[in-house]
Amino acid sequence: MSRGVPAVEDEEEVAEGEQSVSAPVTQEEPERKLTHEEFDPKGTLALILTYFAVLAVMWVFMYFVEFLGNDLIVVG
Amino acid sequence: MHIHQYEKLWLGMSLLLIVGFIATITYGAVGVGVTMVDDSGGNVNPNALDEHPEFSDPGVEQVGENEYEAHVVARQFIFQPDPIVVPANSTVTFYVTSADVIHGFSVVGTNANTMVIPGEVSEVTVEVNEAGEYGLICHEYCGSGHHTMEGILRVVPEGEYNSSDGGEQ
Amino acid sequence: MSVEQETFVDRYPQEAELVRRAFLVAFTALGLGALFGIIQALHRTNVLRFIPSTDYYTVLTAHGVLMVIVFTIFYLVGLYQWAITRSLDRSPTNINFTRAWLTLMTVGSALTGITILLGFVDQVGISADVLFTFYAPLQAHPLFYTGLVVFIIGTWLAGVDWFRTWLHWKQDNPDERIPLQTFMVLTSMIMWYVATIGVAVATLFFLLPWSLGFIETVNPLLTRTLFWFFGHPVVYFWLLPAYMLWYTVLPKLAGGRLFSDPLARVVFVLFVLLSTPVGIHHQYVDPGIAEGFKFIAMTNTMFLLLPSLLTAFTVVASMEHGARQRGGEGLFGWLTVLPWRDPAFTGMALAGLMFAAGGFSGMINAGMNINYLIHNTIWVPGHFHLTVGTAVALTFMAGTYWLWPQLTNRRIYSRPIGLLQVVMWFGGMALMSNSMHVAGLYGVPRRTAEPEYAGFDFNTAFGSISELNIQLAVGGTLLFVSTLLFLGNLGLSMGNPKVEGLGQSLPEPLSGASDSPRVLDNMKLWAGIALLLVALAYVLPLGAIIQNGGLFGMGGDAYPVSVLGAFDGLDAVRELLGVVR
Ligand code: HEM
Ligand SMILES: [Cu+2]
Ligand SMILES: [Cu+2]
Repeated sequence: MSRGVPAVEDEEEVAEGEQSVSAPVTQEEPERKLTHEEFDPKGTLALILTYFAVLAVMWVFMYFVEFLGNDLIVVG
Repeated sequence: MHIHQYEKLWLGMSLLLIVGFIATITYGAVGVGVTMVDDSGGNVNPNALDEHPEFSDPGVEQVGENEYEAHVVARQFIFQPDPIVVPANSTVTFYVTSADVIHGFSVVGTNANTMVIPGEVSEVTVEVNEAGEYGLICHEYCGSGHHTMEGILRVVPEGEYNSSDGGEQ
Repeated sequence: MSVEQETFVDRYPQEAELVRRAFLVAFTALGLGALFGIIQALHRTNVLRFIPSTDYYTVLTAHGVLMVIVFTIFYLVGLYQWAITRSLDRSPTNINFTRAWLTLMTVGSALTGITILLGFVDQVGISADVLFTFYAPLQAHPLFYTGLVVFIIGTWLAGVDWFRTWLHWKQDNPDERIPLQTFMVLTSMIMWYVATIGVAVATLFFLLPWSLGFIETVNPLLTRTLFWFFGHPVVYFWLLPAYMLWYTVLPKLAGGRLFSDPLARVVFVLFVLLSTPVGIHHQYVDPGIAEGFKFIAMTNTMFLLLPSLLTAFTVVASMEHGARQRGGEGLFGWLTVLPWRDPAFTGMALAGLMFAAGGFSGMINAGMNINYLIHNTIWVPGHFHLTVGTAVALTFMAGTYWLWPQLTNRRIYSRPIGLLQVVMWFGGMALMSNSMHVAGLYGVPRRTAEPEYAGFDFNTAFGSISELNIQLAVGGTLLFVSTLLFLGNLGLSMGNPKVEGLGQSLPEPLSGASDSPRVLDNMKLWAGIALLLVALAYVLPLGAIIQNGGLFGMGGDAYPVSVLGAFDGLDAVRELLGVVR
């Protein structure tokens, strides 16, 4: 059996074995368990849409102001 | 394979972004007319530049009413000619090649920027407006004196341009 | 003690030793590279110059090669050896073979590295100041190319080793899906095999024989194009191990689970397919390549954004999952409950944030005609210090804080120092990279010891060049200090006592492998398509370059970077080989 995909049953015991290494904070038992169905990554969507907006605005600025507004455009 | 609907949305927007970038670049090429340095400059033997009709005597010459050609040779660690002198309000085509290693040819702070590769000729056409002076640098490492490799592109008022000195003032 | 509490070194002591050995080489390179980095940062800004400017290029060659060839790739092989062993739960078929390729890689890097460093000692007359791109007709000492070839052969054998381990595993587990980490290792190596065709042809058929005097001339555009055939996919070779850590370890650190295993597989497959037929985007302003080929490379490059954009979503969603499980609420409030005091987590998260910024300057670099604005300006190092210099390097350091205890059974010396270290890297890089981007827009070139010129000054729209220089120097200094803290923290950890119970397991993804189509695991298919795409993208441009400029160029001499030494050395080599001139 592969250990790469630990069986779900292991999860309970894992917690107590995983004492601090560099990161004791992450070793606590989660407050709740969310499955794929119960979880909507709303925050992720909001962050990534913000990123999208920044990219679009910066692109337009860089292309049309910095580049096309620059001296000596190469035309041939 | 079930993909979350937010993820599908993001996939769609990512594709939109990509297509938007490609569209902008195509507009720059077709609408504005920005062209890329390409293979139109042809090839030369870097060891035989002194036998070449143009590169044996690099300089600027008038080829049309308002059109000029500047043949430039880059070599460790100079540009020839230096300064390159062209008249204001003209169209200038640079033909740049290297006599030794790979160099760069960059008119500082402008879009005139190309690699210079021995054996190849870089052809770059630009429209020059008012009179003024630009710095010219080699922006590719070309040996231990690379940081000293610079030149001047001088744009002089039309009246002051003297075609007989071929740009070598 | 149950099986899950075992550490990697408990279960695989020999493999753990090899992983540590690979990391040791990687971190030695990182330390030396950082020393050269700060020298560059201080020298080119004229804050402090204590080497002659002609030696700057020896420093720059060493910095480039040590950072992006030695540090990144040795970390990669260490990480991948760990990943494939643990995810298949299986030792290499023959551990001596594993030792052999690691030794080959080390010998190769040592040869190349020493040849470069000898450039500081004029008396020896050996030098390789050709930068990590080694564009002909600048010519390095033959040992430089030889070392490179040996190193690459070592990496090829590493791939053989991993494929062999997987095939044996498959015989025992015919119906199982490839574990995710193994999948990542195998796809990365397919990409690497395709990519290294370019550099192997360039060095073995042209540069090495040319440096030995067997052939008189080379076609500089051809060897340059072959270099970039390799040069773009290699950036993904640096990145993919960082992606592996983001996909498989970061969710765990955040207290959650990977959002989607199938999507991770799709992302890696996209990299296999698209990362090579794009190299011409490094040659947008090269003569001798038709505009049409540049346009094709541009569109391919833009589509290569897709896997990284998808990664951004999946990785952030996995963090959000962790945060929500830990009780995080609100649209952004969940960000506050993430384990920010953990250097492993914070390092990776900050690395990801910088990658988002580097993604933007990368989009500009990809934009064909806009390349006139930034080509070979210091904007470009500004970009890749965000990507390979932070997204990759900082993720590797952060990952080490998590992985090292499992390779040694010793705790990390100090968590607060670790935290300070990753934050300092972030701050230092924000300064250095920002100043590089801005200076690049003013036309300040990269790769130069003295970007101040006799005949003209740079025009700045706001701020001044000297302000930007100070920013760069301060940023570079912070980065150097951060590197020292990292190495020191790790070194001191070796004084910690060995303890038990440091073992960590990785959580299962929310959407598992069984949700993805099996065709994703068909390595032969992806390798075949990748080769086809490469052929489509490269046969015509390479054909045209050879047709116009000749297989061995139009003529032209070689320019050994150390004239004196190259000739002495060459004669010796020729004598050895019995070549009559
Ligand atoms: C201590 C931290 C670092 C400092 C202070 C630093 C500084 C610099 C500077 C100032 C340059 C520009 C030199 C020039 O073009 O004249 C440079 C180039 C470069 N750096 Fe770094 N760097 C650091 C870390 C890294 C890391 C972690 C990587 C990659 C893993 C990296 C990869 C490179 C590469 C590939 C170049 C380009 C070399 C070339 O143009 O041939 N650097 N670095
Ligand atoms: Cu130069
Ligand atoms: Cu690239």
